[in-house]
Amino acid sequence: MLKFVTPPLALAAAFATFPAPAQVPDLNDLEIAHAAYTAGGIDIRYAHLAMALSEAPAVRDFAAVMLRDHSAVNEAAGALIQDLGVTPQDNALSQALLAGAADNIDRFRTLDGAAFDCAYAENELGYHQVVNRTVSENFIPAVTVAPLRDLLAEALVTFRAHEAHAERMVAELGCDS
Amino acid sequence: MNTGRSGLAGGVLRGAALAFVLVMQQAAAHDGPHTHRVHIEDFAFVPATITVRPGDTVEWINDDIAPHTATAGDGSWDTGLLSTGSVGSIVIGADTTGRIDYICAFHPHMRGVIVVERDDP
Repeated sequence: MLKFVTPPLALAAAFATFPAPAQVPDLNDLEIAHAAYTAGGIDIRYAHLAMALSEAPAVRDFAAVMLRDHSAVNEAAGALIQDLGVTPQDNALSQALLAGAADNIDRFRTLDGAAFDCAYAENELGYHQVVNRTVSENFIPAVTVAPLRDLLAEALVTFRAHEAHAERMVAELGCDS
Repeated sequence: MNTGRSGLAGGVLRGAALAFVLVMQQAAAHDGPHTHRVHIEDFAFVPATITVRPGDTVEWINDDIAPHTATAGDGSWDTGLLSTGSVGSIVIGADTTGRIDYICAFHPHMRGVIVVERDDP
């Protein structure tokens, strides 16, 4: 059973900006689409930073997977949005996610070596845990458009694989020892 | 219990159809190379294990959003990146026998097995 990581103080901001599922505001379909796309884009930005700053194979391999998979999911989301002829709506959750990511990236840039690797790895684990719970407990039940709900469900399979991969990465790096 | 003409006729037809299918299946085991399809869905190879013969083709179709590969555990072959809906394939060599383990190079926890059996008596 996967454990739910208790974030160290230094990482608290990473999760403070993404509300616990029970606290996620009610969003409409277009806002959910925007938030989900934004969350994927943020993980792509983290991955680019990891590829630039880390020399650890475990981190670089994980970041490469994030770049490939989240790009594919966001491409599928973009195609769906185009098919539906709608425009995702910016919202408070998306803005909070972006603000939190900006803070995290600023902090990550001050780190190097093992300190960066563990900060990135633990953030990825916590980020995927919270995002996955939000997608499963809030987004999917709330969405009213079937194709969007199906896409979120498919994406959740991918994100859960990422969560398990992140857990292995944290263990391999010895960050939680 | 239906013992009428139509029931008997139906039974005969079903029996004939079953016999035909069995004959075709037996013939199929020996009538040249075949193509076996493995689906990649929910980050798993389905079925995870297939049994083939030398000269057969194995195809993988990616039903996931995320890109995957099918890559030999020893690195001797690789389908390359399979995006959503893409199909990759390999042909089993004429001299190949035994068990071939493979993975997704992007998600190594995804594992599959090809068992190559000969028709030799």
